[in-house]
Amino acid sequence: MSPSVQMQKVCFAYERSRPVLRDVSLTIPSGTFLAVIGPNGAGKSTLINLIAGLLMPQSGTVSIDGTAVRSYRPADLARKIALVRQEYVPVFGFSVAEMVLMARTAYYGPLGFEGKADRERAAKALEMTDTAQFTSRPLASLSAGERQRVFIARALAQDTPILLMDEPTTFLDIRHQVEVYDLLKTIQINESRTIIAITQDVNLAAQYCDQALLLRSASDTEATTQLSQGGSGLCQYRMGPAHEILNAEYIEEAFGVGVFAGQVGHGHFFLPLGRMAKDAISDSTPPAKEQA
Amino acid sequence: MLAAVLAFCSLIGSQKISLKAALVGEHASAVPNPDYEILVHIRIPRVILAAIVGAALAAAGATLQALLRNPLADPYILGISSGAGLGATLAVIAGLNWTLWGRSPIAVFAFAGAVGTVWLVWTIGRITGKFHVTGLLLAGVVVNAFFSAIIMFLISVARSQQLHTTMFWLMGNLGEEDFFALWAGGGCVLVGIVALYVLSPQLNAISFNPTDARSMGIRVERVQFLAFVVSAFITAVAVSLSGLIGFVGLVVPHSVRLLFGPDHRQLLPLSALFGAMFLVVADTVARVIVAPAQLPVGVVTAMVGGPFFLLLLVRYNRKVSWLR
Repeated sequence: MSPSVQMQKVCFAYERSRPVLRDVSLTIPSGTFLAVIGPNGAGKSTLINLIAGLLMPQSGTVSIDGTAVRSYRPADLARKIALVRQEYVPVFGFSVAEMVLMARTAYYGPLGFEGKADRERAAKALEMTDTAQFTSRPLASLSAGERQRVFIARALAQDTPILLMDEPTTFLDIRHQVEVYDLLKTIQINESRTIIAITQDVNLAAQYCDQALLLRSASDTEATTQLSQGGSGLCQYRMGPAHEILNAEYIEEAFGVGVFAGQVGHGHFFLPLGRMAKDAISDSTPPAKEQA
Repeated sequence: MLAAVLAFCSLIGSQKISLKAALVGEHASAVPNPDYEILVHIRIPRVILAAIVGAALAAAGATLQALLRNPLADPYILGISSGAGLGATLAVIAGLNWTLWGRSPIAVFAFAGAVGTVWLVWTIGRITGKFHVTGLLLAGVVVNAFFSAIIMFLISVARSQQLHTTMFWLMGNLGEEDFFALWAGGGCVLVGIVALYVLSPQLNAISFNPTDARSMGIRVERVQFLAFVVSAFITAVAVSLSGLIGFVGLVVPHSVRLLFGPDHRQLLPLSALFGAMFLVVADTVARVIVAPAQLPVGVVTAMVGGPFFLLLLVRYNRKVSWLR
């Protein structure tokens, strides 16, 4: 499979003294579903924004289909990559149809109106996400899960080979989370698109994603490097097939939290166990009171 | 879309009709010859002026609401009003009475004040971050307050005749203008509105969310800058022609949005048309209601526009997400 997104020795910092991403090099083959997992502040959204061309790396290159992101014109990049964030309600009362058609702005003719092809694309995207029945409703009148599906429809209408998702299921209940992941998986398989999704849900990632990228905070890895006095130092990230990367050891290492890993069928599931969690207390250290 | 275009065309018609109706109403009982004089030299320029100013203010208001993503924005929010007001007040107090291309010093100073203030606010906004909306709004509000204080100070030390002229200007005044000023002003405003219309698909996406707009292939900073400059320019032109007429730039875009939805490809031209009609009607009311004296038109726009807007808001509030 041809590489669709490539990062070579990418470094990025918002402030000079505090690097967010250090020397990240990775290749995302086209047609994969990649989960980006890591603690808050590890640089997951930064990574996505670098791929989307919303941020430029201080050094290194990000390329899409073999061409550096910085050399794309904005309108051409918008034909390669679409971005979905957490759903929200816009300030003005746009309807579902108006919003989904907005994705076609980069394709509009000189008069600024959509053509037949644009409307067909939008209608197809609404159908795929099962939101066609909301077409003329204002966005504000939908539930959060429905609205997130409309945001995904907008990204589909942009007609790009790559979809970037920044925590698409964060405030959704489990049913809506599963609906979004089923939808993404269907899109990946039927339309052979590349999907890169940031998620906090390791279990959903283990069930749906082919590849996983586990990021750690750059400052953490720096501290560990100094402690271990290792020559090459620790890498800030691990990437590979989801079933290899998502294991208890690596997750504990990235998040600094005890994890119980179990197996269902082919996949693993992970249960975080904090110091005061019932099962953590009963099997290891006794509670503080008994010690005294 | 076809329906939108049809509505658009029929509204051009209705603007002319309301214009004619206003004129006929004015001349119901008068002798032909002076009638013609009044019509051509006083009424027509005045109605055209009202239309130009109304269209400019409403289009600029719609644009700024989109750029700042704030339903409270109006053309004056970034300090144009106080800057122009300060310019005008200075011109009155200094007692200047030269003319520049047939324009009184009040208009020239007001225009310079408006442009200067917008530049100042924009620069402050830029320093606080790349088109940082909150920074820009705060800079606008503070500059407005500061310049208003200076205006108050100047008024408090002014003589009574000067005071009257200044107050009348500050309340908005569609006095007689010569044809050259009308053509020049009207041309600038028309070009400005067409330019904003060209940007309207991009404004849609930006008013939705600027970051999303960027990932949809829109050069957000460039569109924001152009739209901002154009709307500030047409507002400055309008202000220098007519003084400060409030409410048109806030209420007209909202009314159009409530009735026709937030798509800027409809919103901008319709706002301009409704703004023009609204101000023509308001000015007619201002001239007729306490005849032979005249009310400042700004008083009428607020008194007529306010209740009308509230009525729309109550009737159509379900469509508006910012009320939630």
